[in-house]
Amino acid sequence: MKTIREINEKIKKGDAVVVTAEEMIEIVEEMGPKGAAKEVDVVTTGTFGAMCSSGVFLNFGHSDPPIKMMRTYLNGVEAYSGLAAVDAYLGAAQPNSDDDIDINYGGAHVIEDLVAGKEVRLVAEGYTTDCYPRKRVSTTITLEDLNQAIMVNPRNSYQTYPAATNSREEKIYTYMGTLLPEYSNINYSGAGQLNPLQNDYNRERKTYNTIGIGTKIFLGGGIGYIIGEGTQHNPEKAFGTLMVKGDLKTMSTKFLRAGTMPNYGCTLYVGVGVPIPVLNEEVAKACAVRDEDIQVPILDFGVPRRDRPVVARTNYKELRKGEVTIEIYDNELKRWVEKTVKTASISSYKKSREVAEELKRWILNGDFTLSEPVAPLGRGSCKPMKAEAKLVRDILSKPPIVARPNISIEEAARILTEKNINHLPIVDEEGRLLGIVTSWDIAKAVAQNIKSICEIMTRKVISSTLDEPIDVVARKMSRYDISGVPVVDSGGRVVGMVTAEDLSKLLGYRKF
Amino acid sequence: MKKRIYYWVHEEYRDKPIISKVILETKVMINILVAKMRPQESFLILELSGSKEQIEKALNLLKKYGEYEDIPKTIEKNKERCIDCGACIVHCPVNAISREEDFTIVFNDKECIGCKNCVKICPLKAIEVCEI
Ligand code: SF4
Ligand code: SF4
Repeated sequence: MKTIREINEKIKKGDAVVVTAEEMIEIVEEMGPKGAAKEVDVVTTGTFGAMCSSGVFLNFGHSDPPIKMMRTYLNGVEAYSGLAAVDAYLGAAQPNSDDDIDINYGGAHVIEDLVAGKEVRLVAEGYTTDCYPRKRVSTTITLEDLNQAIMVNPRNSYQTYPAATNSREEKIYTYMGTLLPEYSNINYSGAGQLNPLQNDYNRERKTYNTIGIGTKIFLGGGIGYIIGEGTQHNPEKAFGTLMVKGDLKTMSTKFLRAGTMPNYGCTLYVGVGVPIPVLNEEVAKACAVRDEDIQVPILDFGVPRRDRPVVARTNYKELRKGEVTIEIYDNELKRWVEKTVKTASISSYKKSREVAEELKRWILNGDFTLSEPVAPLGRGSCKPMKAEAKLVRDILSKPPIVARPNISIEEAARILTEKNINHLPIVDEEGRLLGIVTSWDIAKAVAQNIKSICEIMTRKVISSTLDEPIDVVARKMSRYDISGVPVVDSGGRVVGMVTAEDLSKLLGYRKF
Repeated sequence: MKKRIYYWVHEEYRDKPIISKVILETKVMINILVAKMRPQESFLILELSGSKEQIEKALNLLKKYGEYEDIPKTIEKNKERCIDCGACIVHCPVNAISREEDFTIVFNDKECIGCKNCVKICPLKAIEVCEI
């Protein structure tokens, strides 16, 4: 048994034994947890990955005449300033207000530029008051010009994170990176055996051994503190998160970097390292966690719902090898087949190592002592939002208007005008979808003197099902640039039609 | 040996099985890395493998039906920007990106065909492709 104070004495004298979480694995293997706890004083951990829930509180100082900033832009990126006159919070995932730049230069990029010492354009507008008469400021600032730039990240350093793959026939762009069609890659994130929470997790008690409120940490290359459990903290499921703060002025672009997940959004890559004081055997044992001990589910991001299906389960060791074999259902062969899929990391293991190494160096040099937490992390909560999904079945009212392929163009035209619709699904004798004809197709057929429906109907129809959320249908329409989709039941029979018009009434979207 | 080329098929041969013809006549192996077949243009990126003579013969034959160009050195990783995550690896059609023992990501510009897949997906914008 050791105390943090004793460890700090050793650090100051230069006697402390400090190892990284990777090195600790072998030490525990050799000496056992008891021996390792005697031998080692501090284990340093590290992670470096995309952490969207990050941002900075900025204080600009007062202008003359003073302004109460209400809309605040830094290089075109809006910072929330519904705070006191010259305070603002710049979120990492905020896109640029210029639609042409959008996610290619957002909050994270401003944060990186500030840390790099670059000049940033500040434009702010206020509503005027007797004490704040100024309407507008426009100036350039650097990090140095700010009174405070305090990074406060509501959720960082996920203990572990599910991997992602895609069952769809098309490429999709997600916060887990670009996912190729038909299970062609698996993207994963996380430092695994180097992750701070993983190394501090007490698997029996489902709590954290040493990490608490007030734990001093490495944050973005500077010194930071844990200020509580992060949002969506879920220790029951070994899914802890951290809320952290640190002074942006002490950070470096080596450990704080802006990025853009293509067609998804901008994000901040943050390096977080937590020192774990090896107080006893139990702590030492937890620090021996290996990549192969950490289960990682692989989720199908092709399903755009909150509860994405688990395709397979693996662990960080397998993922880091570069290939994982999973079983998938082949719709053509109608059976399960094995598929070896390439894996790609979207966080950096190399940088995670650098974080742990850097923190180790600080402690060995006597520059960094450990803090005594003032309270343990809270229990957290991670439940779903109270918002019902509106499904296609909820909005289908009318019976479907369909036609057989042997009707004439004139008949089709008559149905469309009489029923005042633009889409006519063409079905077989069982009512199963064969194709679709739109009023546009009819107009073209008349112009070109075409006589048969089969010649003009679209056969590869984008369709929907009764259980699909209407937002998903809306995205389909915009993605394929179509104005209506037939709805089919499990037997392929047409049960209705959803049009862009129906949806814009419901969702308030203006265009598809 | 292996050789990589860009290949544009002349308009009048666009619907002819030229690649098969070259394979049959010269016995060279042809791997089609990229193919863009449209009414207005047909552009291919080909990898030829065989002996030196075979490849020369194949190139001569290809010249009859279109134009080719050698693929120049194209890719460069910006070491300052790259965080060595490895997200780009799976997007490379020719395995020109690999990971070293210490998790550093390296690009082999001899293999690279300049398709820019990696450039498009890199979140850090760390890859520079020289314009051709
Ligand atoms: S995706 Fe970009 S940052 Fe990541 S390894 Fe490739 S080049 Fe480097
Ligand atoms: S541009 Fe990138 S993805 Fe394309 S071949 Fe070169 S390295 Fe591979």
